[in-house]
Amino acid sequence: MARPLWSGSLSFGLVTVPVALIAAVRDRDLHFHQLHAPDNAPIEIRRVCSQEDREVPFEEITRAYEMPDGRLITVSDEELEAVEPRRTRTIEIERFVELAEVDPLLFDHPYFLVPSGEDDGSLRAYRLLAEVMAGTERVALGRLVMRAREHLALVRAREGALSLTTLRFPDEVRPGDDVAGARHRAHQPTAEQLDATVAIIEALTGDWDPDSLHDRYRARLKRVVSRKRDGETVTPPHRGKAPEPAEDLMAALEATLADLRAPSQQ
Amino acid sequence: VPRSIFNGTITVGLAVVPIKVHSAVEDRSVHFHQVHAPDEGQIVQRRVCTAQDIEVPYEEIVMGYAVGADEYVVLTKDEIAAAAGAHSHLIEIEQFVPAAEIDPVFYERGYYLSAGDGGEAPYRLLHDALARCDRVGLARWVFHNREYLVAVRVHGELLVLQTMRFADELVAVDSLGLPEPSRAPSDREIEMAGRLVDALQGPFEPSGLTDTYRDRLMGLIEAKARGEAPDLPEAPDEPAELDLAAALEASLGRGAKR
Repeated sequence: MARPLWSGSLSFGLVTVPVALIAAVRDRDLHFHQLHAPDNAPIEIRRVCSQEDREVPFEEITRAYEMPDGRLITVSDEELEAVEPRRTRTIEIERFVELAEVDPLLFDHPYFLVPSGEDDGSLRAYRLLAEVMAGTERVALGRLVMRAREHLALVRAREGALSLTTLRFPDEVRPGDDVAGARHRAHQPTAEQLDATVAIIEALTGDWDPDSLHDRYRARLKRVVSRKRDGETVTPPHRGKAPEPAEDLMAALEATLADLRAPSQQ
Repeated sequence: VPRSIFNGTITVGLAVVPIKVHSAVEDRSVHFHQVHAPDEGQIVQRRVCTAQDIEVPYEEIVMGYAVGADEYVVLTKDEIAAAAGAHSHLIEIEQFVPAAEIDPVFYERGYYLSAGDGGEAPYRLLHDALARCDRVGLARWVFHNREYLVAVRVHGELLVLQTMRFADELVAVDSLGLPEPSRAPSDREIEMAGRLVDALQGPFEPSGLTDTYRDRLMGLIEAKARGEAPDLPEAPDEPAELDLAAALEASLGRGAKR
């Protein structure tokens, strides 16, 4: 099992379960090393003290906040913990809400919670919490302090385990009011346009099947690497011109529908 | 209006919707610098060539894919960009899915969409049609030389573009090796837990959810700037073994007295 990113406890009423936080996403990206072009020697990143102009070991590095007047205020790990000692160690479930009420714009990073206690009572409490949420759309909301910041945490049952997704604070989502969207009355579609568009959407609707959706970028990047390895030259593809919006929207919709309804050419 | 970070075109069949992409989320947590503890000198990161032991400017850096010890396939940044794909300004919706089928674990970063030049009518049409049948469009989006899977969905009066994770990036529950209790929760424990959940059930109210930590952390920093020493917490007690039924009962009792 992967190394825990945080450990502490999950509390629900007076029930407290020791838990560890494990990443629920793994990095599948191709990783590159930085090389120095003339000699293709690997590049090393060195942390250098700007006062002394010399490399410093990791243990001598601390964090500091820059005040508006430029003064640096250092903050130690112990001091960080003093800010919110309880939330640094405990995710307290404050309420249960319906999952559908939570705007997906708020979703940040997914994790799993795994029980870290040995005793049967806390293992059963973990199972109990997963069971009461499983099969419902109910999720738990709490808070978690990790790496010098507080996160809203959404805890829910997923595939028999408790998953935790950090949420952005609502004030981190910009108001959409000033984005020119679909409000203008002048652009209200006709019933005919709306029916045709819904018909196109229906014709193109399938089930959500995440296993069928592959990372094509990762696959292409692998091909670029293997072609280069074989000594081929790689040139960026020609970038096509974007199509212009149709003069007659209804005609474009009808042509699309006709295409979708025509018997397959294959 | 937040500046647009991308101009492009969404297509559904032959219907063309010029759009602009705007960032929707911003990080508001407190940021720190790295400093060298003894002299509070700021830490700077330097790229150093390991062969010549000299600092190297960004322009002289190429990317190497390791294929053996000290053996790399060398790619320029342009060659890596070649993998991004051709239609860089085109977001073609190829498929729609019922919105409720998508597990939110797949949602990554969200962006607002606005109508591009001449795009107001088709934007509104796509918005209203998606809202009417509660569907989400799936497409590919090339942004900063990388292709993303994106969902185009309704968000109030707007369309939102949200990058999606791929299924093979998600960690399988099986790999966690979850320990099982020696006996399953009893009916009584399940019933009590259900009542406790009911007691704590409420609407999702974003306005009440503020980052209190941010303010407290700034309070501590400002106190230190004035030369005050912060109070440090005591070490926590080791948690005792849990008597689950008793804790549930006590929680319900506490709730009833409120």
